[in-house]
Amino acid sequence: MKILIIEDEEGLRESIEEYFTEAGNICETAASYAAALAKVELYRYDCILLDITLPGGNGIDILKKLKANNYTDGVLIISAKNSLDDRLQGLDLGADDYLVKPFHLSELKARVSAIIRRKMFNGSNVLNFNELSIDLMAKTVAVNGTPVKFTRKEFALLIYFISNKGKVISKNAIAEHLWGDGIDLANNFDFIYSHIKNIRKKIMEAGGKDYIYAAYGMGYKFADQ
Amino acid sequence: MKLSERYNQVNLIATIVIMLITGVIYYQAISLILTNQKDNSLKVEEQEVFDYVKLNHHLPQVFASKDQQITFISAEPNSVKREFFNTTYYREKDEPESGRGLVSSVKVGDRYYKILIVESKVETEDLIQIIFGITIGVILLLLLVLVITNRLILGRLWQPFYSILSELKLFNVTDSREMPSPNTTIDEFNELQAEVTAMAERVKKDYKDLKTFTENASHELLTPIAVINSKLDTLIQTENFSEHQSKLLNDLYSAVSRLSRLNQSLLLLVKIENKLLNDRQHLDLQELIDDLLYQLEDIFNDKEITVISTIGEKEIDASNYLIEILLNNLIINAVRHNRTNGEIIISLTSQNLTIKNTGEQVALNPENIFTRFHKASTSEGSGLGLTISKQICESLGYQLVYSYEEPYHIFTVNF
Repeated sequence: MKILIIEDEEGLRESIEEYFTEAGNICETAASYAAALAKVELYRYDCILLDITLPGGNGIDILKKLKANNYTDGVLIISAKNSLDDRLQGLDLGADDYLVKPFHLSELKARVSAIIRRKMFNGSNVLNFNELSIDLMAKTVAVNGTPVKFTRKEFALLIYFISNKGKVISKNAIAEHLWGDGIDLANNFDFIYSHIKNIRKKIMEAGGKDYIYAAYGMGYKFADQ
Repeated sequence: MKLSERYNQVNLIATIVIMLITGVIYYQAISLILTNQKDNSLKVEEQEVFDYVKLNHHLPQVFASKDQQITFISAEPNSVKREFFNTTYYREKDEPESGRGLVSSVKVGDRYYKILIVESKVETEDLIQIIFGITIGVILLLLLVLVITNRLILGRLWQPFYSILSELKLFNVTDSREMPSPNTTIDEFNELQAEVTAMAERVKKDYKDLKTFTENASHELLTPIAVINSKLDTLIQTENFSEHQSKLLNDLYSAVSRLSRLNQSLLLLVKIENKLLNDRQHLDLQELIDDLLYQLEDIFNDKEITVISTIGEKEIDASNYLIEILLNNLIINAVRHNRTNGEIIISLTSQNLTIKNTGEQVALNPENIFTRFHKASTSEGSGLGLTISKQICESLGYQLVYSYEEPYHIFTVNF
């Protein structure tokens, strides 16, 4: 996967780059409007992470240029502006998704993976990981070809894990992904554990391996070790 | 007390006092003049007696007269002092009347006589009464006219004042409506209007500045929060943490997510107040609530809260984003302030949505639960949830009301 990160805030740009850089991924960065424009005019990317407010210009203009040239790069807007108008404008102009700062890197990764999947699989939308086969359209999971029943949340959590495989995902990030912003009442996330326990159990009962590891009480990691 | 009433009162008292004083002076003056006249008439009579005596050298014959009585009494020489006096006039068979008399003396030959001339004052007094009555009548009429015109004129004169006042009562900082200028040529009111308008503009501008500040500050905070968040996400990838370190990291995560939510809430409040979120969609509340209840199922289970819901059909036109926040806030609120093994009762009808929850067995003060950053010391929330809910309801024209019916705290949204 080839990803371009257009973000002027150095700290954020570096974190995203580090998180996305792994085997098989190429990450490029641009910190200003001019640098970003130069890159998108020369190279094609699987996904472009686009900040709206940039030194020297507006990210929306970059999006317009991409669309005017009929480039099919996936575009995910990351913006501090949680305004509906911006969101609608961005999506109307052809952005694939819109994520508001601050966000968890795992959330960003999940969104980017979804965009890339949509671009690559062109509708067939089956996600495979070892013996797991997940149909994103039908929302069904099969382990070694045997269908396994997952609840809505377990399904969402499994995809989230696979999108972030090899990464430790904090409990906060999981909670926010599953329950949205309303989750601030929980000072312990015990109920996350019950979902994870169920996923593990269902996969293992169908003959799959246990891929979910607890990480020092901070979060969980999905990995094929 | 109204200004015009006060004015009329002062006016009336002053007029009555002046009128009374004038009346007394007037009465005295008239009665002095008329007594003087009477005295002159008595003097004329006396002179006639003197002339007669001088000519005929005997006393004149006294004829009975209606308004005048003359009596001659013989007296010691030089024993009578000439003087006017007030007396009583006795007419035959009639009531005694007030009269004016003159005592004088005359020498006829070598005999000395005391002359007593008394005239009735009844006509004079009648005259005084008539004059006084007419005067009082005129003054009263004048007073009445004055009061009525004052009332009418004052009412009309103060009209611009009252219109400015009613404008002030309608004044709202969040409102962009301009104040209409009243129709008046009175300088004072024009000045008042100008000042009031200028003040309203200043207040609105200050309020707007404050909102802009809140918005900008929150926006500026978003980036550092995003950086902290992403650095934490990166940090936990480095692995090999001790239990102590991971506890610290968890605390950091919680604090950052709270900070971020607080910031989002502030931004949201500004946006609702600025009416930036006024898109309208057709929404099925029943479906939204059912979704949300499913979504929060784990949280209910975690606290062992029983949720009883009777959700009727209700469709509204509103911003999806805002309605989701409203429902989320109210239900999360019902969970947060609930006790373990508590209850939440949700009911939706076409008129209202009520969310009842068990919790502390004390009614909350409905005055301040909706104010910003008002929260129980034990609450983990931002203290903005109910404020936001209230603002959302107001922006949609709904009412959010709190009540307490043991053992339930009840929040009702009236559509």
